[in-house]
Amino acid sequence: MIAGSRRNFLTKGSMATAATLTGLPAMLFAMNKEARAAGEAIPVGQCGPTTDFAAPDGIEFKNGLTLACEEINALGGILGRPLEPSFEDTAQMGDATNVQAAQRLIDRYGVHAIINGYNIGSGAAIQEVVADNAIIYVHYDTTIGHNNLVKSNPERYWGSFMGDPAEIFYGSGFLKFLQALETNGEWKRANNKMAVILSAGVYASNIANAVKELAAQYGWEINLFETVSVPASEWGPTLAKIRQDPPAVICITHFLPADLAQFCLQFGPNPTQSLVYMQYGPSIPAFRDIAKETANGILYATLVGALQDEIGTAFEKRYKEKFGPNAGHNSGAQPYDGAYVWATSAALAGGSGEPGNNDQNRKVAARMSSMIWRGVTGTTRFVPIENAAYSYPTQVNDSSLGMPHQFLQIQDFTKGPALIAPAPYGTAKFVLPPWIKA
Amino acid sequence: MDVIIQIIASGLTLGAMYAVATIGLSLVYGSLNMLNMAHGALLTLGGYICYATITHLGLHPALALIAAALVCAFAGLIIYVFATLPLLRAENFETNIFIATIGIVAIIENLMLKSFGPYPIPQPLGISGQVVIGNVHIPVQNILILVTALILMAAVAFLLQKTRAGRAIRATSMHRYAQVLALSGALAAVSGVMISSIATLTPVMGGDPMLKAFIVCVVAGLGNVYGAVVAAIALGVLEAATQYVFGVRWSFATLLLIVILVLIWRPYGLFGRQQVVRL
Repeated sequence: MIAGSRRNFLTKGSMATAATLTGLPAMLFAMNKEARAAGEAIPVGQCGPTTDFAAPDGIEFKNGLTLACEEINALGGILGRPLEPSFEDTAQMGDATNVQAAQRLIDRYGVHAIINGYNIGSGAAIQEVVADNAIIYVHYDTTIGHNNLVKSNPERYWGSFMGDPAEIFYGSGFLKFLQALETNGEWKRANNKMAVILSAGVYASNIANAVKELAAQYGWEINLFETVSVPASEWGPTLAKIRQDPPAVICITHFLPADLAQFCLQFGPNPTQSLVYMQYGPSIPAFRDIAKETANGILYATLVGALQDEIGTAFEKRYKEKFGPNAGHNSGAQPYDGAYVWATSAALAGGSGEPGNNDQNRKVAARMSSMIWRGVTGTTRFVPIENAAYSYPTQVNDSSLGMPHQFLQIQDFTKGPALIAPAPYGTAKFVLPPWIKA
Repeated sequence: MDVIIQIIASGLTLGAMYAVATIGLSLVYGSLNMLNMAHGALLTLGGYICYATITHLGLHPALALIAAALVCAFAGLIIYVFATLPLLRAENFETNIFIATIGIVAIIENLMLKSFGPYPIPQPLGISGQVVIGNVHIPVQNILILVTALILMAAVAFLLQKTRAGRAIRATSMHRYAQVLALSGALAAVSGVMISSIATLTPVMGGDPMLKAFIVCVVAGLGNVYGAVVAAIALGVLEAATQYVFGVRWSFATLLLIVILVLIWRPYGLFGRQQVVRL
């Protein structure tokens, strides 16, 4: 059991502690009154990829939930009951593996909730285990499959929540972002061509298809739609096609950082006059370590990540103090916020329910559905019936009512990325990549 | 013209990566009739040892490469002592060792994960710079990998044909297993360093080269080292051409189609013997 020291947590007076208690965690603290987290432990679980190719994220997901449980316990747990996290590995994250891991969390530990990061796969399998056992599930699979599943039968999937928006918002959000760059005079397209490069897999394909479907509405013509196989260390043939018919924008929805860094290294010596947008990979520090100078100017986006504001940077500081300076707090932020949303809702509902306690966990789910949570990743507010977070600014135009779709740019590979959109969260301005002539 | 140069350059790069990975695997199968599924994991181990000795011990890259080869040769001996030897006298050696080495993969990958963490790490051993032909920029590192593959092939040929140790490998019984596995481990280390210099280090980086090496071995004929190198380079060029002409998504499918066709036409591979007999 993680036994957070309430005294230490609350009396050190650090910036981190102050930031934690100025946000909604203060509400949980107030509900717990002066209770110490010393009652019967509440088991909470996570099944994530702590081995195999997604281990960089899986280990951070584990860290994120661990930190959240420590902090929540220091705040009094859930009405005085401390959280006790357990973890199961999902390795390559096939649906069969994911479902078995979730079931083990319930059978072995009796978890009241499963708080995950992402598992690739259909994104619509663990919900079945959760529904059968009437517990709460928060995940960050970032897939429209979740929305479609939950709204297909809300009476069955009431306990499943996706803490971030579906991946399809990457497509429309990206096109709007480009439009804003042009409107603001920060960049001018050389032509109307856009190359879209994806890898096989639901996530990358759905984003690429979303871009493709909406491109014409924004005046874009897709002149290359190329699916690469993974790992993709040799980009020569794909770059040859790009160089034969240079597009104004190269949109890569394949997401592995090492592959994307190799793209930069091979694109860099002979670039085309194209903006280069990538998916996720540049958020991993190893991307910059490998690509070095050729990473400068690369754009990327995330639908969920720690903001570079007071709450987000305080979280980053706490996270890196605990897990090391190279720890990836953006991945850890996901289950961290998810755990707080669930724990606070459970406290509001009068407590959490064990597996099979349909009545109590329905109360918890109802509190989650109506909550607006301002956490380290921005605002979590769930779309009714779909139980997935709203995306700002694509779905809602009020930044306090949706999770910010963050656009970042690597402007100096020796430093962290600059958050350039959306307002009011941006901390830097877009700069033209060094290979583009103004 | 630039496109053709680019396809050849990319093809040779892919082929060289496949070739360096294939040599050790082919050697073990050719000599021992043992499909060492841990070859990819040894390759990973070698890459990490090179990284660690350069970064943490400050060794010169050449010494780091030798250190990696020695550690992986030792790992090969460990596999011999704890997997090959106990299974050798039992029935179904080929099947049992195949499964046992899959278990060794899990052990090595998890050791790397615990020791070095999950994040991709750039391999510090590498040569910067580009060779420009037409408008095509070819990294010197890619050329180094191709040259390394050819040197390894020649060295293995020389060792097997001309040296006393090589003749012992081909002639004697028990010690041969230990020697071959040690040599294969050392070759895997060099391969791992070369491949990770392009593909970066991760605990699971050996999986893809292992798969491609197996495909190359099947096409060339399991156990034929020279055939494996030729097949690797030919398949690399074919893959790059397929990627350009038909699209990247068809390249792996094309490799598998070639495997099927070769197995129908020549079940023992393009350069293979009709039957592999474990001495």
